[in-house]
Amino acid sequence: MPMHDGFSGNGGQEAVLRISDLSKSYVMGEVTVDALRHVSLDFFPGELVVLLGASGSGKSTLLNIVGGLDVPTSGKLYFHGREITAATEDDLTAYRRRSIGFVFQFYNLISSLTALENVQLVTEISPDPMPAEEALTLVGLGHRLKHFPAQLSGGEQQRVAIARAIAKRPELLLCDEPTGALDYQTGKLVLDVIEKVNRELGTTTLVITHNASIAGMADRVIHLGSGEVTEDRRNSVRRSPSELVW
Amino acid sequence: MKTLRKKLFRDLLHIRGQMLAVAAVVACGISVFVSMSSVRYSLEASRYQYYSRYRFADIFLQVKRAPEFYRETVKNIPGVASATTRVIADVTLDVPGLDEPATGRIVSIPEYRGMAGLNDIFIMNGRYPEPGKSEEVIASKPFMQANGLVTGDRIGAVINGRRKELVIVGTGLSPEYIYEVQPGSFFPDNRRFGIFWMSRRVLESALDMSGSFNDLSLSLAHGTSEKDVIMQLDHLFKPYGSLGAYGRSEQLSDRFISDEIKQVGMQITILPAIFLGVAVFLLNIVLQRIIATQRDQIAVLKAMGYANEDVGLHYLGFAMAPTALGAVVGTLLGVWLGRGLMDIYGDFYNFAELVYIFRVEDVALSVILSFTAALTGTIGAFRKAVKLPPAEAMRPDTPVVYRPGILRKESLKKKIPVTFRIIIRNLERRPWKAFLSVVMISLAVAILVAGRYTYDVTDRMLLIEFNEKHREDVTVVFRDPMPPSVRYNLASLDGVLEHEYYREEPVRISFGHRSRRQSLKGVQSSRGLQRLIDKDNRQVALPHGGIVLTKTLADILDARPGDMLGIDFLQGRQLHREVLLAGTIDEIIGMSAYMNLPDLDRLAGDGGALNAAYLRIDTGKAEKLYSTFKQMPGISGIMMLKALKKSFDELIAKSMNTSTIILTAFACVLAFSVVYNGSRISLSERARELSSLRVLGMTNSEISIILLGEQAILTLIAIPLGFLVGIGLSALLSHALSSELYRMPLLFSAYNFIFAFAVIIIVATVSGLAVRKRLKGLDLVAVLKTRE
Repeated sequence: MPMHDGFSGNGGQEAVLRISDLSKSYVMGEVTVDALRHVSLDFFPGELVVLLGASGSGKSTLLNIVGGLDVPTSGKLYFHGREITAATEDDLTAYRRRSIGFVFQFYNLISSLTALENVQLVTEISPDPMPAEEALTLVGLGHRLKHFPAQLSGGEQQRVAIARAIAKRPELLLCDEPTGALDYQTGKLVLDVIEKVNRELGTTTLVITHNASIAGMADRVIHLGSGEVTEDRRNSVRRSPSELVW
Repeated sequence: MKTLRKKLFRDLLHIRGQMLAVAAVVACGISVFVSMSSVRYSLEASRYQYYSRYRFADIFLQVKRAPEFYRETVKNIPGVASATTRVIADVTLDVPGLDEPATGRIVSIPEYRGMAGLNDIFIMNGRYPEPGKSEEVIASKPFMQANGLVTGDRIGAVINGRRKELVIVGTGLSPEYIYEVQPGSFFPDNRRFGIFWMSRRVLESALDMSGSFNDLSLSLAHGTSEKDVIMQLDHLFKPYGSLGAYGRSEQLSDRFISDEIKQVGMQITILPAIFLGVAVFLLNIVLQRIIATQRDQIAVLKAMGYANEDVGLHYLGFAMAPTALGAVVGTLLGVWLGRGLMDIYGDFYNFAELVYIFRVEDVALSVILSFTAALTGTIGAFRKAVKLPPAEAMRPDTPVVYRPGILRKESLKKKIPVTFRIIIRNLERRPWKAFLSVVMISLAVAILVAGRYTYDVTDRMLLIEFNEKHREDVTVVFRDPMPPSVRYNLASLDGVLEHEYYREEPVRISFGHRSRRQSLKGVQSSRGLQRLIDKDNRQVALPHGGIVLTKTLADILDARPGDMLGIDFLQGRQLHREVLLAGTIDEIIGMSAYMNLPDLDRLAGDGGALNAAYLRIDTGKAEKLYSTFKQMPGISGIMMLKALKKSFDELIAKSMNTSTIILTAFACVLAFSVVYNGSRISLSERARELSSLRVLGMTNSEISIILLGEQAILTLIAIPLGFLVGIGLSALLSHALSSELYRMPLLFSAYNFIFAFAVIIIVATVSGLAVRKRLKGLDLVAVLKTRE
């Protein structure tokens, strides 16, 4: 089984994020569910990684732990060599604030704030953000700044969510089923934006999905099954999302 | 964090109905607190200012007649700072525009203003009587107002049997008569009783009292024992027909005002505590709900890197905003109400200057109290928001676990329609919340019941005093005790239908080491024009040979029926006697001691004397009778029962209506807030469920029943509970407000409960309808699409 190729595997670059022997189990009533079992992975600067897996494969759990939203049961997580798993609550908050951008399946916009304000929510607390308008222009919504979420289509809402995630210039962009709630055309549009952000800003991007067709746009594809890494491969060619078909 | 504040602002706007309801409850609590405490301090300050500026005395003494040189003797008593002697007489007045005779109390003042001693007068307008002008007097403001008199007007007075024309040159007030009421009466009748101030020299000569006085006032040096001075005075003036010296606590006017201040003080605690308690509850349920609906938003904020404190403070904002609004509105409302209440107090109590004191400390305290309440109400929700792990918050709330509960039995289940099964299960699921909702609504009911309780008691007081106890038309008070033969004089007057007499002797009643100055009333019959009625409106018979005391008086003396009491007559031969305490009577107003007239005559050891007569008169001949009374030299005062009742009714109506309106309004706010918030939260919790039911084909009315049925059941349970709590609250009031002046029996009219019931049902219906309107706006498709 091909495993990760070492601490400095991607052309000699140092890993942005290193996952080492990570496990996570939930106790639900009298049953213990192992969501992740001994996962070890490295992510490198600028990589666009697609994490594939069926529902219940543990991909969301992994994303939450990487994003500092959840803590593992065992194993370690390093961000630029610093152990995140040993971080305090405050450190985790700072980690999320500075380094992580999240995109959720259901966008999770604050309904009482406009597109621009949803992005400002992030720019206000980040040390070196891009202007909120710029982030929205980047995702093609420069003309919808004053609209409330309810006045935007699903695709537009997801793009606001992406703008909100990238406005802080995160080192890691984590996208949890970003097209899961969208139709085919809109989904592709959103993937386009993610690809563009990755290409233009060089943000390490991790997209989790159960849609295998999306794998074509990635530098690297990781398969997760029953909480374990079942495959970790690199695409020789990264295809544009517009070329993808599902 | 500007954007987070924007979110807070818009979210608040979105749930403005609920937030306003919370703010209204806080505002009610704060306004009661601010108004009542400002009223208390204003009354205290007005009294203090009045007393010190116009030198209100510390000790008072009435004697029959004592030589003026005793003033020096009194001044030499250790601890006495100053002493003022006066001549005071009650006279019959002929007031222009008034058919019946009025009573005037003429109080002497020094010839020159500069010589004024204790109990000085405040001249509102006009001037001081000029020396040598024997007809000039100053009249009290309430009397002037009630009779529409102005300075320069003339009134007739029968002083010492001689009719004299008086000219009113000024309007005045005195700290002695803040509550201006005729001696022997409980209710003010400013039309027929007034205070007049006249030059000492003039009054002395009119009353043949030259070189003597019959009224003594003292002020004490700081730290002097009032009791010691009183003992010395009693000893000193015993030969001069002393009625016994007494301190401010027995001075009628001070007594009323002090009781009032105490009562206001009581209200500062109870009502605000109820309102702030309800605010705690409302904030708790509203915040819990906001946090439940915003779980995902909390998660997103945390995922973005917002710290726990940021998120926590954001949600605390939901509690602070309505609290702050409530505190501001409540303070303003409180100041406004306080001023209004002081105006009403101004009708009852005559202050030289009614100062309104608005204390910043009270506002600060009320703000602290309300924010403490807000924090208490929010702390649970706040902690939940802070503790919520972001990853968990991302997932929808775990579905609520329902249990078969009381509907376990299939047979029972079948009898209950599905809609009601849903209601019952919802109530069962969160019994604690349901219980608290019931308690909160019941508090609103209780406030209504307790509010009307004081109304009912006042009604009872008036019923007993004016219908049951007294059935005469007129009380005629004699200037001096009359021999029993006076009966023939009055009986012979044309228009007198019934006549009945009583004797009143100033005595000191003692039992063991306790004693009390008291007027002992010898009544001709306890079943005639005047009857003995207890607070439960039962007639009490007067046994022969013994004395009957008002229960409060017996309690003060610690005496029980069967005990032998000591009676010291303060006038006449000043005999000491022993008499059997034959019984007690639980009277509603004042403290009295009763005996049968022949028994009292025997006890006094004289041939009998009469002090006053109760008359029932032929209304057709009233006018002629009144003009006869106006001329009769032996009469010092006349009391008209109907007039007294009317004047008191007017006075009480204004203040009672105001307080009932305020309490009713506040109780409505309370009930509305609880029911409205309860149904809004149910709607928010169950919008999906209700939409689904609509999609499945249920009508709007059917889902309304599910939504509002829950609140309806809670309200219906709360009403009887509220009655009980209201009775308890009234008992508390009754206990706290009862004093030596009056007792508040625990009684409720059916109307009270009907009123409370109707108000709560109306309020609950209105708030239910307000929420029901939202059901129509339920977007079935959208609600089903979005995940919880």
